[in-house]
Amino acid sequence: MDAFGMGLVAAMGALATVAGASEDIDSDIGSQSNPNSQVQLAAQVGNPHRIYNKAIAGEPPSNALWCTTAAIMAYVLIEGYGMPLLFAAAAGASLAALFDGVMSVSAYLGRNASQARFNQWIYLDILRYTTPSIMAHVWITSFCIVLISIMQVYILTPHHPFPIPVIALVWGLTVGAIGSSVGDIHYGGEREFQWRLFGQGLNTMLSGQIVRKAEAGLRNSIDNAWFCAKFGGPCTGMGFGLTVFLDNWRTTVFDPITQATYAILMGVFFVIVMNLYNFYCELSARRKYGPYPGYKGDIAA
Amino acid sequence: MAAVRGFKIEPKQLRIYGLIGSVVGIYLAYLLNAITGTTIFSFVGALAAILGAVMGANAVRRVCAYGIGTGVPSIGMLSLGMGVVAVLFGLSIAEQMGIGVLGVIIALVYSMIFGYVVGLIANRVMGFNIPVMEEGLTDLSGAGTLAILGWSFAISGSLGYADIVNSVINTGFLAIIFICGGLAILHPFNANLGPDEKQDRTLVNAVMVGGMSTIATGICALMTLGLAAGMVQIVVGFAVWYYFFVWYYRLAARDASAVVGTGLLPPTVQ
Repeated sequence: MDAFGMGLVAAMGALATVAGASEDIDSDIGSQSNPNSQVQLAAQVGNPHRIYNKAIAGEPPSNALWCTTAAIMAYVLIEGYGMPLLFAAAAGASLAALFDGVMSVSAYLGRNASQARFNQWIYLDILRYTTPSIMAHVWITSFCIVLISIMQVYILTPHHPFPIPVIALVWGLTVGAIGSSVGDIHYGGEREFQWRLFGQGLNTMLSGQIVRKAEAGLRNSIDNAWFCAKFGGPCTGMGFGLTVFLDNWRTTVFDPITQATYAILMGVFFVIVMNLYNFYCELSARRKYGPYPGYKGDIAA
Repeated sequence: MAAVRGFKIEPKQLRIYGLIGSVVGIYLAYLLNAITGTTIFSFVGALAAILGAVMGANAVRRVCAYGIGTGVPSIGMLSLGMGVVAVLFGLSIAEQMGIGVLGVIIALVYSMIFGYVVGLIANRVMGFNIPVMEEGLTDLSGAGTLAILGWSFAISGSLGYADIVNSVINTGFLAIIFICGGLAILHPFNANLGPDEKQDRTLVNAVMVGGMSTIATGICALMTLGLAAGMVQIVVGFAVWYYFFVWYYRLAARDASAVVGTGLLPPTVQ
């Protein structure tokens, strides 16, 4: 273990935290993945809305696409044209943001046009002011992910044997999966159904009955970004940052070849500690907010 | 605004266009490159891949119309996954048998059989019970194979197994072909999901995403084939993307219940 390697691991953890947070807020602005089904359903049960509907293949594949696009651009600039690493990453992220803008616009237009019979209109002002904020967040995500890949391949020793685009693809899938399972619940479960009592769950009767009106005027996707940036985004960032940091930390502290057993045991230790902490969190939430007033005891099956 | 051009194509017709157009396109690109002794015509391979992707998008549309909502991305990834296996199998077998050029046909035939078997398993063993599943997965597997072959050719400029391994797989550019080609097949139906989905809008979207993939492979080709071949591909990809994006916007405006600059919620229908 050397100080430089540990510094790099810390930097990668910090970049991953930022990437996770911006990834989650990007998907929340566009109502991607978890919240998307309710946004899609809302118009069909008679609740047309002014919320962005960015359906791009679920979060893991779409983030894999942005990160890979940024990575090929960076890779070509570094290997083919000898450009500086930071410049190459920034150029790649810009291309990824453009790709994302096109895909988002086409998804919003297509999904709303396919709901013509439910009177769901296409609002051009939503396209104009929401798409740039989605693109900006995608820029941050793909920039951070490409920088992590560049660090792994060019700077961290031993150098990672895989080419940058493949590493970025895997990181993109990972950040998408973590965002989809951590942060989106906050938007899909809390923001869309704010008036729900704790412990009620989402029964079929409530499907599509999302909150469409804001504190003032109609709710739009920028309001959702404001809400999600307070808890869901940082949570996702912490989840992804910890994943990257702890995983690299144990192979930096313990040599993966000569001390492989210690590294594996350390991983098992982390998993056990996190499970215990999750268990504690759930118990604590139930103690503070539960039980649901309508709970009438368990019903025998 | 003048009436927007729309169209309707039967799946069988589209399959013929997709398969024959794509195979002919890849061989045309190969011949043009071989005759002129350059790699400048590699972009024809990318255009051929778009034809395959359009066929795949139509197959996704048919299979997923049976109510597979969240399965749309999965089926697109499955298609490209089958494609990667088939391409590597076809090209390496052809190379070992000394008939390198016929690798495209071997990969295509193998992938379609493979797709049919996967469709059979999905329907009979896993119990999907979707009538067009076998047919759809056969199409999808073929489309994934053609997409990967076409865009790989656009990056490597050659159909040789060793060349493709060198310039597409070892550099990691297969990642962008996999994910961007996958999106060209699955994004069209996913983006247009809903009861009023129309075939022409979905397929125009497929060509549009195919144009974006061509831009991406063009950027890769800047490194593997050089500035001229890469730039030609980027410009062609941009032209395809722009034309079909404008067309797509018009089709969406045609189908939507209203396109408004801004406004409150529409009066409810119920």
